[in-house]
Amino acid sequence: MAKNQTRCSNRMAFTLLLLTGLIFLLSPQNLTNKFQLAFARIFRWPLSIGRNFSLAARTHQPANQMLKRSQMQYQNHIDNLQEQLRQERLKVQKLSGTRERLPLEGANLVVAAVSMAPEGMKKELIINRGSVDGLAVGQFVLGDNSIIAIVSDISSRTARVRLFTDPESKIAVTVGTSNIERIMQGNGDNSAVISMLKNRAKTGTAVFARKKPGFLDAPMIIGKVAQSERNKESPLLWDITIEPACDIEALNDVAVIVMNPDK
Amino acid sequence: MRWFRFVALILVATLLQASLLAYWNIKPDLLLILLVFFAVYCNSSEAIISSFTIGFAADIISPAMGPQIISFGLLGTALVYLHRVIAIKKMPYQAIAIFITGILIGILTHWLTLLRAEPAAKNIFFILLWTSLYSALVGPFLFLPAAWWMRIKTKRF
Repeated sequence: MAKNQTRCSNRMAFTLLLLTGLIFLLSPQNLTNKFQLAFARIFRWPLSIGRNFSLAARTHQPANQMLKRSQMQYQNHIDNLQEQLRQERLKVQKLSGTRERLPLEGANLVVAAVSMAPEGMKKELIINRGSVDGLAVGQFVLGDNSIIAIVSDISSRTARVRLFTDPESKIAVTVGTSNIERIMQGNGDNSAVISMLKNRAKTGTAVFARKKPGFLDAPMIIGKVAQSERNKESPLLWDITIEPACDIEALNDVAVIVMNPDK
Repeated sequence: MRWFRFVALILVATLLQASLLAYWNIKPDLLLILLVFFAVYCNSSEAIISSFTIGFAADIISPAMGPQIISFGLLGTALVYLHRVIAIKKMPYQAIAIFITGILIGILTHWLTLLRAEPAAKNIFFILLWTSLYSALVGPFLFLPAAWWMRIKTKRF
């Protein structure tokens, strides 16, 4: 009798828990994300300690790494300035006479600490700033002076940002000095791809995120060309692989570009 | 079962997995190891509840909620019933159990993730294989501190 009851309660518990799992599976992601964002917010302190410890353990040559990172930051800054200068020259050439806004003029850079990088196939980060800090979905995220992600989900004090290397990420970009807009899609590893380009791009060429009204007023560097290979279906066209312009995994802090912040 | 200790253990394992181990490509899955531990050393009802709870913890630190609760719950429960038929007492058997459970959980999670129309990484099976292998190597040694913390006598079988 007791054995039957145990078996029955086991079945009951299993069924109820499986149903709970199915509810989670079939619920909209914006609802279930709240659990993850709440976890990241509640345990941000131990998560950041663990993250710092892990990053410190991975860094074998601190001086060299720091130097390399500073060099990367300056290089990204130079690339951004060169692209802005090129854009300004184009504007002068057009002689439109209308007043154009300067890059990041009136924008607020909200610095946020990386709380957590969820495991799995997606390339995302959870940061410790949310809607109360002026963040909104669609805003661009900077790491070491380069665009690394876009805010994809938000709660009051935390936000989830989707890296441009995530397979769901699609960002309008330009390659080098070309003004033709292309769509760059994440690969799921530490790279993204631009398909069907007419011309081969040189390795190391800077790739810029296009300006987007309300979110980004000037093109900013997002990555660099890592390799070009012929498209398998159309061998006359090229697929180029883009790598981030900074070491995303080593970032402790990022900055979110909040255009036209509330004063 | 000491549920307060259980919650503390799962919380610590989840935080370690999401912070300290998150930035290594090949790493042991602490939650998988704990799943097999509770399936082996607890009675069936406790093991079923703990399997789903560990799955929930795994989902909290993964991109999408749902796939891991179901896969941890299903495979954990299957392991509980398998343990009634084949005793998983010795360390090599425990390592094999962790390896096979890890592979099966990974495959099921991958399918359920695709069901949610989530993107899949290219090298998912490579990562799965190495994570399961690493967990299988480390897991049986972690059973001892886990048993000490949970006040479970590992020699009762």
